[in-house]
Amino acid sequence: MKLKKYLNIYILGVIGSVILIISEFFSWFTDYSLIERYVIYSSVAIEDSFLYLFPLMSGIICLIASSLVIYKIELKIKCVIIFFVGLGFMIIFFIDYITQEINFISNPGIGFYLGVIGFLLILFNIINILITIEKQMDGN
Amino acid sequence: MSTGTIYHHLETLKELVDQKTDKRYYLSELGVYAYSSLKNNIETIRSPDFTHRELRSPILRKLMKITSKRFIQFEKEDKALTTIISLSILITGTILTGLNGFYSFLLFFIESEQSNMDLFLQILISFTFIVNMIIFFIIIEGISRLFYKKKENTFNFFISFAIIQFPMVFYLITHLIFKSFWLLNLSVFNLLDKILLIVFQVWSLWLLSYGLCAMKGLKIESCLIISLLLHYGSFTIILFVLV
Repeated sequence: MKLKKYLNIYILGVIGSVILIISEFFSWFTDYSLIERYVIYSSVAIEDSFLYLFPLMSGIICLIASSLVIYKIELKIKCVIIFFVGLGFMIIFFIDYITQEINFISNPGIGFYLGVIGFLLILFNIINILITIEKQMDGN
Repeated sequence: MSTGTIYHHLETLKELVDQKTDKRYYLSELGVYAYSSLKNNIETIRSPDFTHRELRSPILRKLMKITSKRFIQFEKEDKALTTIISLSILITGTILTGLNGFYSFLLFFIESEQSNMDLFLQILISFTFIVNMIIFFIIIEGISRLFYKKKENTFNFFISFAIIQFPMVFYLITHLIFKSFWLLNLSVFNLLDKILLIVFQVWSLWLLSYGLCAMKGLKIESCLIISLLLHYGSFTIILFVLV
């Protein structure tokens, strides 16, 4: 019964965050997953190896924000700010990583699709949170 | 409405209304004062949910302490000071953009590919900070006019608009320090630089939402939607340009 209370449209944010976390363990443009690339690059001390952890970090931050907003809707503004931080990591990742892998852009792996879907779901969730609350307040 | 209900409301308003000899009810002196106060402050009263509820959060209060809301939602006597602060931010931002070799695009900075630029080109690039701010303002003003029919406070909003870029000036300073000491080649500092960019961008987005809310009387939710769409819209443009 309690679980049913938390199953609403905002669950999309949780799904998006989980998809984003999962994308870390699949390949984006090469045969290696992002986590494997992080391990390889950090072992040879390449300065931006941490970049490959950004989808994971973004997913975790957005998962916290999504869970918070489902648990207590009053925290919506703070959650939106947490979402901004989480998606900020993803934006940096997209800009830096995609421009690095520009030659392989025509042949993306499943990780890329999962990353984009997760990102869009979270974005949709934020807009949905803000619009729904606005409508509720107008109705009052 | 029943007589009982009317008497109940009259009892509640007893400080504000008086019954005169003609048996009619009129506003008392306090009532007239309360009415004028409500009428003259209608814009402030329209968004109480934002100013009173959202800013109760300790994190947001600390953020607003650093970037004083006094200069975003300024009074007449603070106009000159706000203008000076805005101009200082613009000048500092312009110089720092040039020194870092960045192009400014809304809340993003794109690194110039040329390593040894001549001075004229560097100065020209640094002015993208000012051009960017003007374009940014036009887009925001346009959106609030087109979609929300809010035409008020345009000039005041313009005067305080550069304050939105205040956190980005912090980022430019830290980036310049990292760059000058070749620290960006180290993994930790490279990561720190990226995290600082994200944090300062979010701070700027919050200031943008706050400014819109205070100057245009929009709800904080609508302001956050505008900030969000603009930020992710500019990200998409950058991605397409770079690809």
